[in-house]
Amino acid sequence: SRAKDVTMPAKLPVNFFSTRSPVIDLFRGQLDYADHLRQDSEIVLYFFYAPWCGQSIAAREEIERVASRLSDQVLFVAVNCWWNQGKCRKQKHFFYFPVIHLYHRSFGPIEYKGPMSAVYIEKFVRRVMTPLLYISSRSKLLDFLSNYEPGVLGYFEFNASPQPPGYLTFFTSALHSLKKDYLGTIRFGVITNKHVAEEISLVHSGSLYLHRHVNTSLIYPNDVMNYTAENICKWALENREMLIRWLRPHGGKSLLLNNELKKGPALLIFIPYNPLAEIHPLLDEITKVALEYHNCNKSQAAEPDLQHLGGTDSPAFDSSVPDAHMKLSETFSITKYPCCNTVVLPQWHSISRTHNVCELCINQTLGVKPNKVHVPHCNFLEIEAALDSFYLQEHTFFQVISNTLECSNFLSFYSPFSYYTACCRTVNRHFLTFISSEKTIFQTPKVAFSSHGKKDNTQHSIPHIEDRNCFIPDLHISGTNITGLSCRTNKTLNLYLLDSNLFWIYAERLGASRSTHLKEFAAIVDLKEEVHYVLDQNQSLVGSTLENFIKNFSILYSPLKRHLVDDSSVHFHEQRVITEVTTNTFHDTVFLSEKNVLLLYYAQWCGFCASLNHIFIQLARLLPPDNFTVARIDITRNDLPWEFMTDRLPTILFFPHQRKEQSVKFPEHFSVSLPNLLKFILHHSSLSSSEPCTKECLHKETALQQGHISHLEREIQKLRSEISALHQAHDQLEAQLSEARREEHRLQQQKHTLEKQHKTLQLHSEQLQATYDQKNQELLEMAEKLQELADASENLLKENTLLRILVASRDGKLQSKDEIKESLQSEQTLSEENDISVSTATATLEEKTIDNIDTIETEHSSGNRTE
Amino acid sequence: AMAVLRALGPWLCLWALRLPAGTGAAAPGLDIASYRERVRAMFYHAYEHYLESAFPYDELRPLTCDGQDTWGSFSLTLIDALDTLLILGNVSEFQRVVSVLQEGVDFDIDVNASVFETNIRVVGGLLSAHLLSKKAGVEVEVGWPCSGPLLRMAEEAARKLLPAFQTPTGMPYGTVNLLHGVNPGETPVTCTAGIGTFIVEFATLSHLTGDPVFEDVARKALKALWKNRSDIGLVGNHIDVITAKWVAQDAGIGAGVDSYFEYLVKGAILLQDKELMSMFLEYNKAIKNYTKFDDWYLWVQMYKGTVSMPVFQSLEAYWPGLQSLIGDVDNAMRTFLNYYTVWKQFGGLPEFYNIPQGYTVDKREGYPLRPELIESAMYLYRATRDPTVLELGRDAVESIEKISKVDCGFATIKDLRDHRLDNRMESFFLAETVKYLYLLFDPDNFIHNDGSVFDAVVTPYGECVLDAGGYVFNTEAHPIDPAALHCCRKWKEEQWEAEDLMREFYSPKKNKKFTLKRAADYGEGESAKDPEDASSEKGGEKRSSKKSLHSLLSCPTQSFNSKLAVLGQVFLDDT
Repeated sequence: SRAKDVTMPAKLPVNFFSTRSPVIDLFRGQLDYADHLRQDSEIVLYFFYAPWCGQSIAAREEIERVASRLSDQVLFVAVNCWWNQGKCRKQKHFFYFPVIHLYHRSFGPIEYKGPMSAVYIEKFVRRVMTPLLYISSRSKLLDFLSNYEPGVLGYFEFNASPQPPGYLTFFTSALHSLKKDYLGTIRFGVITNKHVAEEISLVHSGSLYLHRHVNTSLIYPNDVMNYTAENICKWALENREMLIRWLRPHGGKSLLLNNELKKGPALLIFIPYNPLAEIHPLLDEITKVALEYHNCNKSQAAEPDLQHLGGTDSPAFDSSVPDAHMKLSETFSITKYPCCNTVVLPQWHSISRTHNVCELCINQTLGVKPNKVHVPHCNFLEIEAALDSFYLQEHTFFQVISNTLECSNFLSFYSPFSYYTACCRTVNRHFLTFISSEKTIFQTPKVAFSSHGKKDNTQHSIPHIEDRNCFIPDLHISGTNITGLSCRTNKTLNLYLLDSNLFWIYAERLGASRSTHLKEFAAIVDLKEEVHYVLDQNQSLVGSTLENFIKNFSILYSPLKRHLVDDSSVHFHEQRVITEVTTNTFHDTVFLSEKNVLLLYYAQWCGFCASLNHIFIQLARLLPPDNFTVARIDITRNDLPWEFMTDRLPTILFFPHQRKEQSVKFPEHFSVSLPNLLKFILHHSSLSSSEPCTKECLHKETALQQGHISHLEREIQKLRSEISALHQAHDQLEAQLSEARREEHRLQQQKHTLEKQHKTLQLHSEQLQATYDQKNQELLEMAEKLQELADASENLLKENTLLRILVASRDGKLQSKDEIKESLQSEQTLSEENDISVSTATATLEEKTIDNIDTIETEHSSGNRTE
Repeated sequence: AMAVLRALGPWLCLWALRLPAGTGAAAPGLDIASYRERVRAMFYHAYEHYLESAFPYDELRPLTCDGQDTWGSFSLTLIDALDTLLILGNVSEFQRVVSVLQEGVDFDIDVNASVFETNIRVVGGLLSAHLLSKKAGVEVEVGWPCSGPLLRMAEEAARKLLPAFQTPTGMPYGTVNLLHGVNPGETPVTCTAGIGTFIVEFATLSHLTGDPVFEDVARKALKALWKNRSDIGLVGNHIDVITAKWVAQDAGIGAGVDSYFEYLVKGAILLQDKELMSMFLEYNKAIKNYTKFDDWYLWVQMYKGTVSMPVFQSLEAYWPGLQSLIGDVDNAMRTFLNYYTVWKQFGGLPEFYNIPQGYTVDKREGYPLRPELIESAMYLYRATRDPTVLELGRDAVESIEKISKVDCGFATIKDLRDHRLDNRMESFFLAETVKYLYLLFDPDNFIHNDGSVFDAVVTPYGECVLDAGGYVFNTEAHPIDPAALHCCRKWKEEQWEAEDLMREFYSPKKNKKFTLKRAADYGEGESAKDPEDASSEKGGEKRSSKKSLHSLLSCPTQSFNSKLAVLGQVFLDDT
């Protein structure tokens, strides 16, 4: 049919962005117009989208947010690059959407490949807007150099010419680096002041400097490499120092983590990161630890150049004054961190075992800022004032009962320009004692490990005692110093940062608590050894805890315990016939219980496990619950100590009562069926052993018999319901049977009537046969008559011919007579009369025959009808 | 579902793989509840227009707003969509449709029907509706699940297909006349999937009705294929069911073959059948050896193993889901991410995608709203909880709504290059695509039951534990409850045996013997003891030579690095 060939072209494109949006939406894909628009703007962002694409739709909002903030400086153009009549689709060939291209005047396109989040995009756009930072003073230089990310500095003398030679190339290289390094880790700065340049020993205009913290900083080798934007960029990328790296998986298939983690053990630090924020106190603290960790050559202290800037006239880079470093780090911390003071609040409940602890910080960045430059010293008076303001608001902090850090900002009562930040959390009392005794060297306290069986005296050799609630190991203070530890240990760590706003899922996978609001987490992952360690989550993530974590990992007999991830979403259900076991409840359920335990290792995704559910449910319902526990553990979400790990699923283990250490595995080549499982359990259960009966045994026997009784009761109940089911089935059958009988009866009746009908029909047909025969007879007779008639007509014809001959002979006679008598007229009349009479006779004969045939035919057809 | 494979062209040997940099990490917190509601709205938009404009025809024609018969004349879309109704929680409509079908559907019709399609859509649909009917509040007979009107209908439909299996090889014809059986002069060429895609439905039928004929013919056909695999362990695309000669010799995992592999695995899971699994594992080895390149699967010549088409087919996208069922989650995820890039390029999966060229193949640019990639997404989300997988679901909802929604339903995309629409809405759109999408966004659906809830049903044969999860989807996404197979007729003997054991356990006798352990000492002498392995003939001939140390019916546990294998991160296994 024609409807089969009906097709419909794609719907016409419509606006993707709202018309009020600051983004220009070229939804018909007018790339030429987009190019035209670019002529007038310095910075342009192109957002190439497909209207059907989920990622484009998700990114739309983010782009709008960026556009609303930057629309006065940047032109935002969205182009529908899918519409097949549009120019864009015809010219560009994208494998995914959206694609973001940036142009800095004619330079571009620079593709943005970072996270599709407004803050990251805005940061990148800002980098494209100002690829170079202007370093005008010493303090700015100090800021620039103290950053953990690699930095390239160029010195250009602008007094000589408005466009010093090489400056444009340097500028382009900064843009170029954004193409290669879309995370923008290398920062580019330009120095215009001769004296500032001298601080980093740049003398000639046009020379470039790559700053490095641990290794020697480099000067661009003009003599070896051509001075081009590409080369500068390449040089910086190849020689930069990566002491700590951001990991930002892009979401597509990638080997990033595979490649990084295969380099060796890795410390992954998750912190919430806002790329637009001006200061990152926590990040600074972490990078300080990273610098210290990598600072192998003590003679080249981490920031010799900073020290140098600190005031001494000595231009020596290799300052080896031992206390220089100390002094330095002090200045460092003062300039980078706000002043803080820890306040322990009085207990709001005398019996309470917890304390609220607040970290009170003076915060100049919030609210009105009288001065952008950091206050260099922590003013005692200010702290005092802050404490006063804080205690006035104390009551608000009393109510805090939270394991997470909660911060609030409040205005100082004394200075309208100062804000204070108070971050409070509830901690256990003993935690406080640890804090206070942090500086004293204490021995590892004996931890009361819960254990089972008779192995109590060998606790440390049992690897499954991995009580991670004990955070003592992390506080374990050894004599080791973090400085340069990376070179002194044979367990070197690679350090990585992840933005917990984007990648918290990895932290959750490694066991980060789901309940916490503060998304800070640190873990050491050793892919080769298949273990990971977690920084105790009851401690806040600060430099010192991180340092201890690293130290504890590095020392020979590491006190760190393998972290076991536990599925906290499992809730204990009393009603469930199968007990759900997690990492945390494993020991209690399996070893401490007074029952025989059958434990199934499973995973939700494994088809072979899920199809056995009903068998285990039946088993659990069959076994007496007082003697047996049927349990299972989802092994994908719950780690177990090594000796209880398995490599195939499902695995079935049986832990007999009183012999829990002698667990038995269900033989794998047996099919997992109800009878097989029962045989297996009953064979191994201690109940079936036939030992001489003691008093205890008698008790057991009674218990067993009681179990038997309840089992029988259950069975009776089951049988009762089965009986009722059978009754119902019986009724149903009965009903069906009577229905069938009725049907049969009906059919019988039908048969009778049919037979009757058959008989009458038969009678009728006999009658018909008779009439048929009769008619047939008549027909035959008719045929005979016909034959007679035909004979008669033949005779007549013969007579006719005879008559003609007679007439002819008569004519001949008459003619001869005429010849004699010559009377012509009278003879002629006579012959004509004769002719006429003969022809009339023939006609009547023929008519008669036709009439006969007609009647026969009529009779025949009427016979047919009756038949 | 499958399509007929086409002639193969020469192809470029040089092919470099692009790995398109994904654009940005997952926006945290995709609102799954709102997407779930959008999928629900999609279903009703299509379903209501089918009822209004197309019923009782097989399918809706969404551009002309009318109906047509396609695979027979059984109101196919209605049968196919029935269990989706229940998954969406619409109990009353489920009940209404059940009564409509009981009255309206007649299989005594002079129609030439595809044996394969009738089985997966009609028999499968009716079976799953039968097994779910109690859950849906339909008043069931006392004998349920071993009897019932829908089961009788399924059985009737299946019996109509049996004449097709009357061949010298046991492999069925592709087409059968529902009234007259196999037509004289019917072509003996059937595709591989058309031979090996019966065991799930037919074994279920046999277990429920007690008539072994269905399972027997299905098994015979599977074994015939296994016998005719090539020396390097591959099967081709089409075979002559009379002479057992391979007519099309392309080996791959997609069109024409796909559900054969799927049913080996699902049959093994459903029936706890080692033989089927050992067959699959042998195939899996050959597939990895010869067809897998950089996590793509290509088409090769079945005897030589040389690549014949460097093509990815839309239908192949079920493979990652199947891999995750047997525990090969890492490989599944890697392949899934490859396939996802194709979706991102077009807003759908073209029937054929030329991998080296990175574009569609001529005449194969359509996307009939197939479910396979979404199906894999559902399985993978279950296994990994990776938000990337949810993003595919999001993309699918956005694409299907934006591109193919028309006033009267959802139209097949005729050409993914320009998104031109075709006047067709296949019944699998409501049976599979919408169902898997909904299940992806509904982690608490009863289908995902992990065994924490169940239903105890009393039948005249004893008590059954049903609805305990572990549903096995047939290839048209009709779920089968594996527990139901242990509920009827002779399978009840297991339970009686168990009850006897308990009786013995409680008996005051002192010398109780439970003899499983002794048998185990013999190691390999298991089949005699094994009640389900009645057929002692084992799948792999090489089986005796290499004694596997673990059970075939098990999954490997996931490696340590799987903890971090989310958001597109994959790990290389170089141990």
